[in-house]
Amino acid sequence: MKERNKNKESLKCQAETRTAAEKIIIKQLHHEIEYRKKTEQVTQDARNYAENIIDTVREPLLVLDANLMVISASRSFYQVFKVKPEDTEKKYIYDLGNRQWDIPKLRELLEKILPKVTSFDNFEVEHDFLDIGKRIMLLNARKIFRETNHTHSILLAIEDITERREIEKGLEKAHKELQELASELKRATRAKSEFLANMSHELRTPLNSINGFSEVLYDETFGPLNEKQKKYVNNILTSGKHLLLLINQILDMAKVEAGKMNLVLSNLPVKSLLNEISLLVADMASKRKIEMLIEIAEDLPDIEADELKIREVIYNLLSNAVKFTPESGKIGMRAKRADSGIEVEVWDTGAGIAPENMGKIFEGFFRVDTPYSRVTEGTGLGLPLSKKLVELHGGKFSVESGGLNKGTGVKFTLPIVSKKEV
Amino acid sequence: MKKRALIVDDNDNNLLLEKDLLEVAGFEVSLAKNATDGITSAKKEKPDIIIMDMRLPDMRGSEAAKILRQDKETNDIPIVFVTASVMAEGREEINAITNTRFIGKPIDTRTFAKEVSQFIN
Repeated sequence: MKERNKNKESLKCQAETRTAAEKIIIKQLHHEIEYRKKTEQVTQDARNYAENIIDTVREPLLVLDANLMVISASRSFYQVFKVKPEDTEKKYIYDLGNRQWDIPKLRELLEKILPKVTSFDNFEVEHDFLDIGKRIMLLNARKIFRETNHTHSILLAIEDITERREIEKGLEKAHKELQELASELKRATRAKSEFLANMSHELRTPLNSINGFSEVLYDETFGPLNEKQKKYVNNILTSGKHLLLLINQILDMAKVEAGKMNLVLSNLPVKSLLNEISLLVADMASKRKIEMLIEIAEDLPDIEADELKIREVIYNLLSNAVKFTPESGKIGMRAKRADSGIEVEVWDTGAGIAPENMGKIFEGFFRVDTPYSRVTEGTGLGLPLSKKLVELHGGKFSVESGGLNKGTGVKFTLPIVSKKEV
Repeated sequence: MKKRALIVDDNDNNLLLEKDLLEVAGFEVSLAKNATDGITSAKKEKPDIIIMDMRLPDMRGSEAAKILRQDKETNDIPIVFVTASVMAEGREEINAITNTRFIGKPIDTRTFAKEVSQFIN
């Protein structure tokens, strides 16, 4: 009895020990399960994370296993290549879309290049797909090694550059066309200025004869004319001189535009030049009872410029002022030292320029109607030509007017030393 | 004694106008329509002054002047060039030739004969 009891005790003890051991094991198992659950969760998170990234990227992406079977594809892959997941996943890449993906260049990348390297970028593949037509693609491939089963998968990013290529080609073509146009334009410009130079010589030669003979006749060098004859000859002479001025100004405009107007620079005593020209105009002004105010700053410096051209500009502006100002009106000229040069303003209280005509005054042959003098006296080229001549010297030229019949102010600047223009 | 002038120009109107203006001013005038004839005429007549266009059909006026300067008989005759633009149409090559002047085109009919007279030494 005593023995039995002893055995019973020992068995009980053994059982208790085992239970305790089992409990520990169970607990450990429980921990292990928890841990695995967590790890799985982490793995799942990582996968979701990766898939989300893949689906977000606009570039189509394919994930292949080491045997080139598609493991998964990005949403954009399905969109771009118009295929369904069930026809893609777990399929051999070359079998995709009815074997459309059996592309020699792709085989070259996957079978010949990639086995030797871990990544390859910008591999260009051109292929004509049944559904989406001819595509040019840039492939980026990455081998991703998996520690767990000692194999790798391949990440294949497919950038569709068909449109970019088309745009590039278009740009290249446009660029070529533009170059051709530019050289054509240069040729045409040269031809134009040569034509104008010849034309002006051809026009001026006979015109000089007309003017010369009319002058001799008008002067009665070879005998007296009656009143009518004298008047008619004078008309010929006036028109001839007007035409000559017109031809000269057109030629000058053409020269400036063709970049062929060469300035003959010399030291220019502006003060005496301005005074001299204002004296010339004073006669014209006083005939029409126009008051002229000349304000030339005492410290006005000499400048370096083309005397003939500057003379022409100032004469143009002052004679315009007289032409477009009514009797008993006022005109004036102000000249002063400015930043790094001089500033001259010619103003009048005359016809002014309507706002809608402001843009047209530099176009050439545009003349504002003036009731104050015969507009036929001008050529309509004086203002645009003056502007070009000032700008050729490196100066600025601007016109302001309060509006119709509110007078006009023309302002221009000239640098002390003009940039040598070719 | 009348001063003698030779005008070399290929334009008939220019020849006529300049001839008239000089004759009115008391010159005796001979004419040539190209440089070669002008040079021949200059050697034969030895005028007091030569009025020459810059653009001649057979050579440039400046070239004709150089030929005249190389000949003893014509090397001191003053030459007046009538040249199209005030711009330097060979102005430097003219300046390089002795005893030359120029008058811009178009000529001023009221001062032409006077200007020419002033150039005669």
